[in-house]
This record gives sequence, C-alpha cells and structure tokens, in this order.
Amino acid sequence: MSAATDPAPVVRVTGLTKRFGSFSAVDDVSFSLEPDRIYGLLGRNGAGKTTLMQLLTAQQFPTTGSIEVFGESPMENPAVLRRVCFVKESQKYPDDWRVKHVFASAPWFFDHWDAAFAERLIEEFRLPMKRPIKKVSRGQLSAIGVVVGLASRAPLTFFDEPYLGLDAVARQIFYDRLLEDFAEHPRTIVLSTHLIDEVSNLLEHVLVIDDGRVLIDQDAEDVRSSAVTVVGGRRAVDAFVAGREVLHRDGVGGLASVTVPALTAAERRDAADAGLELAPVSLQQLIVRRTNTTEKEFEKTS
Amino acid sequence: MTATSPSSTLETPRAEQTNRIWNVVRLHLTNTWVIVQTPAIILALIFAVNYAIWAVLDVSISMDSGEAVDGTQWSGAATFIFVYMSVVAAQAITVTFPFALGYSVTRREYYLGTSLLFVLVSAGYAVGMAILAAIEEATGGWGLGGHMFTAIYFGTEGGLARLFVFFSLFLFFFFAGAAIATVYMRWRMYGMIAFWAALGVLLIALVALFTYTDTWPAVGEWFATNGASGVAAWLLLPTAVAAVTGFLVLRRATPRN
Amino acid sequence: MIDDGKPIFVQLAEQIENDIIDGVIEEESQIPSTNEFAAFYRINPATAGRGVNRLVEDGVVYKKRGIGMFVAQGARERLIAQRREGFREEYLRPLLREAAKLGIDPKQLSDMIRTEEVTA
Repeated sequence: MSAATDPAPVVRVTGLTKRFGSFSAVDDVSFSLEPDRIYGLLGRNGAGKTTLMQLLTAQQFPTTGSIEVFGESPMENPAVLRRVCFVKESQKYPDDWRVKHVFASAPWFFDHWDAAFAERLIEEFRLPMKRPIKKVSRGQLSAIGVVVGLASRAPLTFFDEPYLGLDAVARQIFYDRLLEDFAEHPRTIVLSTHLIDEVSNLLEHVLVIDDGRVLIDQDAEDVRSSAVTVVGGRRAVDAFVAGREVLHRDGVGGLASVTVPALTAAERRDAADAGLELAPVSLQQLIVRRTNTTEKEFEKTS
Repeated sequence: MTATSPSSTLETPRAEQTNRIWNVVRLHLTNTWVIVQTPAIILALIFAVNYAIWAVLDVSISMDSGEAVDGTQWSGAATFIFVYMSVVAAQAITVTFPFALGYSVTRREYYLGTSLLFVLVSAGYAVGMAILAAIEEATGGWGLGGHMFTAIYFGTEGGLARLFVFFSLFLFFFFAGAAIATVYMRWRMYGMIAFWAALGVLLIALVALFTYTDTWPAVGEWFATNGASGVAAWLLLPTAVAAVTGFLVLRRATPRN
Repeated sequence: MIDDGKPIFVQLAEQIENDIIDGVIEEESQIPSTNEFAAFYRINPATAGRGVNRLVEDGVVYKKRGIGMFVAQGARERLIAQRREGFREEYLRPLLREAAKLGIDPKQLSDMIRTEEVTA
C-alpha cells in the first residue's frame, strides 16, 4: 500500500469520524481503495456503511478526519464528483416523475453514460418506462438504480444494497452485466451489502464495518481461506483446538463444531487422522463470527 | 463566489461548469408538468370560474355598473399562482435537491441552477400574465368588466410596470419558498418551529409597533406613495436576502436517509 | 463448481487442470481468457486472473503475447505425474481410514477393488 510504484488510490480516508449527536456512525476509520477493483463494503445494517458512502460522496460532512477522492477533497468539488456515481438504497425521485424521466436526465450528469447499454439493461430488467415512479415496486426501484449505476460507467461507483427486492433472475442479470462491463471498462466499484454470500465471489477485496469501525480490510481470497470449522466428537474437537484461537463454537449432544483460523496441510492431515471433519467457512459465516452475531440476526437486520 | 474547488488538478473547464448548472435547470424541467402544464391549467380553471361570476354580475347589475365592477378590482384570483410557485420552490429543495446530490451535483451547482430556473420561470410567467393583463384591459375586462390580471395590487401604472410587479412577486415567492425549505432541510422540524415562531413574533412586533406608535396611516401612505411598482422594487430586497440565506443554509444541508 | 471450500483461484486452477488431464483442453490449444472465466463462473476477474497465473507459474500454460494463454507442451504428462503423487494422500488414506472404521481389512479391500474392476 505504501510502495511508490503503486497507482494512486482512488479513495484515501484517514481518521474519519462522523458523529450524530453522541452517536458515532463512523468512528476513526482509515483505509484506501485502489483503482479498478470490485470492493465489498460489508456489515450489518446500521453498521455505518451508508454514512461512510455519503461522506465519500460529499453528501454528509465529516466531524473529523480527511477524505481524498481522486486525490482531492470531494466536498463541493465538481471535478471529483462528476467521476462518482452513488446509487442509494432508498433513492427518492421527484414525486411527479415517471421511470423514463430518470433515464432522460441521468445522461446529463454522467460523462461516460452509455445510452445503448442503458437501453439494453432496461429491456432485460423489463422496466415499465411510462409508470409513475411512485407506483413501481421495490424490486423495480432497485433495478432502476442498478441501470443508472452500471450505465453511468463512473470511475468510482457505489451500489448501496443494490438488490433489495430483486428476484433471482434480476440478480443474476445484475451480476453478469456487472462482470461483463467491468471486464471491458475497468473501474472502481463498491458493493455495499449485508447479504454477503450473494456477492462474495464477485469481490476482490472486502471492507467489513461494524459499529462504525473497520473490522476487516483484506483481500477477499485471503479472508475466505482464513478460517475453517472443525466438526466431530466433542472430546476429539476440544483436544484438537486446544491452544488455538476459537472464533466460534457450536454443538449439539456429543458433537462439537468449532471455527478456528486456517490450518496448515499437516494440521489438516492430523485432523483427518483424528477422525475430524473440516468444513469450509463462507465469507458471510466468517464475518458473522467476527462481528459476534448469529447468522439469522445478521440477515434479518434489513 | 466560492473557495471550494481551486487548485484542482482535475480541472473542470469553465464551459463544463456552466453546462452542469444548466443541466440542473434541465433536471427541473425533465417533467414539465409541475412548472408549466399544471399551474397553467389551474389558472385557466380559476379564470373560467371568475368569468362565470362576472357574467352573473354583469347580467344582474348591468344597469348601475360602477360598484360591482370596481369590486372585482380587489380580486385575489391570481394569487394562487404565486403561492403555487412557493410550493414548487420548496419541493425543488426538499425532493429534487437530495436527488440531485445523487447525480453528483455540488450544492453550489444545484443552487445556482435552481436560482436560474426561478428567474427564467418568473420571467416567463410575468410576461404571460402581463400579456393577459393587457388583453383584459383592452377588452374592458373580457367584455364583462372583470379583473383578474389587472387586480388593484398589480398596479395601475401601465403594462410595463405591471410586468415588473409580476416578475418581482414571482421571484419573491420562489426564493422565499426555497429559503424556508432550506431551513427545513438543514434543521428539520426544529428549524421549522423556530422559523415560524420567529416570523410570528416579528409580525406581531411590527403590528404592535405601528399600533402603539399610531403610525398605521404612515404605513398606508408609504404604500400609496411607492405605488405597486415601488413596493415591488422594495420587495427585491427581502427576495435577495432570502436567496443569499437559502444558499448559505443549503451549503451545509444534508439529505435525509 | 465454485464452493466455499478452497480459495476460488485454486478451484479455478484445478478445474482447468482437470480439463487438461481429461483432454477437454488439448496441449498447444488456447484456454479461455480471464474475463471469459470470470463471466462463466461469476467470479471476480482478478480472482480468475490469479487462478490462471498460478498455472503460468507451474508451467502448465504459457502466454502468447497479444493472443492469449496456451496449454504448454507436456503439461498433461506433468499434471498426471503430480496428481499421482497426491493420490495416496487424497484418496488412499481416506479410503483406508473409512475401511478401518467399518472393519474392512486391507485384504478384503483389495479383493473389493479387484471385483469392482471386473464388473466395471
């Protein structure tokens, strides 16, 4: 991250704090985003993800700390903001608008807008262009945001919970078009969500936010292989994990299931010889374990 | 005007900046219904109702004209359009502003673009209403001695003066509506309560001042000597104050979540 | 094919290796691009790139400038040799362990293998 040969980061945040009254929505956060990567901004609802993105896009004002986007403060800075697109989870549109008005006006504000691409996405998502925006479903509202975010081709694009209400087909369309278009037009994309398993494979790097703090800032592949769950008889499991850091423990009857940091090949063999099974830990499970919540609770925070 | 984006290495050409401000104007006009069709239709309906009333009056008291026809000079029928524009301005701030931020528009660009829109729409409607006033005058009140666009408040100093009065009134209602909405955007309900309470106290204080100092006749005289266009000129002052205040407040406003 | 077990790039590399061993992808033929892999498996292109790079490092595939990635001459042989080394660890030991658990002794096990061969 410090080597002089690295490309300049797209975002560099240092000691950033945002307080609402006595509540710290973002609490002394530092990180950077490198160009042309797909990031996952993950965490429970209320963890501070949206506030963080609002700070990065100059919609909120920081309490303390510094934000650099494309090397400059984004605050009231058209040169920075015109390269940014932020698709909000609960984007409100002017009351009297119809769906078509969104796509009529968006091209005026995004330099790299691709009209043909937008058209194709609108068709794929089957958006009702003439319907008043107040009457479209939650899923269609999400799809409108997805189309704007993708077709804007902004060098820095934020998607906040982009697929709320989208059905399985629409979500697949989103992932496919995202990967396809990213391949042809690399840019920095931040997917913010609490439904981690859905997007886990699309991410190159993850930032996990909990209680306004950065809990994990790591390569997605490294996170994925950073832990394993040991399953077997309680006594055998206890003997095996003795002296290891235990991330999570679960059990039923004489069975135990314990999540520990990654094992070496030799250790895996030992576990197998001891009659223990090794189960993979998904990104979502791992983050749930690290944020100290139950998985159900985690998914329900929406 | 701003100390926000100097020394930028990501230079945005000046033409580009103007373009972004103009795009805010276009954003407001994406759906023209709010600003053009809807108010025009409602105005037409109000006119139709008034026309019917004049017709009735015309028939019933055509013999001894004078009083009734003079009475229509005090018509408030056209006030609707001004109040309507205040609401449009408030919505431009509470709904379109957060939306525009999502389109990566700066607060400055948004405010300048929106102000430009207010000026353009004010001019457009002022011209339209001045033309209608001229017709009203030329046709002797649409042939019935009615007054809607030539109501007494709009002045009796001729067409050009009336055009100026209309323009100034529109500007005032736009910027006042917008300024009040920025207070809401920044301080929400508390801001509203504080603002309306302060305004109420100010008005009561003025009334009390004039009453206790026995200066109501002087106030009346002030209006009389200035005339409609004189008052309209003075109105530009609070309008300018509202415009500047609106900008200063909006610069630090944040959208609701 | 992508699950949560191993890092995705390892899984991708192994998948390509399997295709080479099975002859689905022949030596000196071109393999799909990183982006094609990413789109097909719905994974991050950088992750797909890491999988392919792993094969480059192992000498399984090589890069032709401006054209793409090709399977190296002799890659299949080498991969088979490599897999054979891992065979004992990955297949034989678990087999023996399970057999022991079920009370199947090595002789019975080899008989089973022989009959299985005849019927297969």
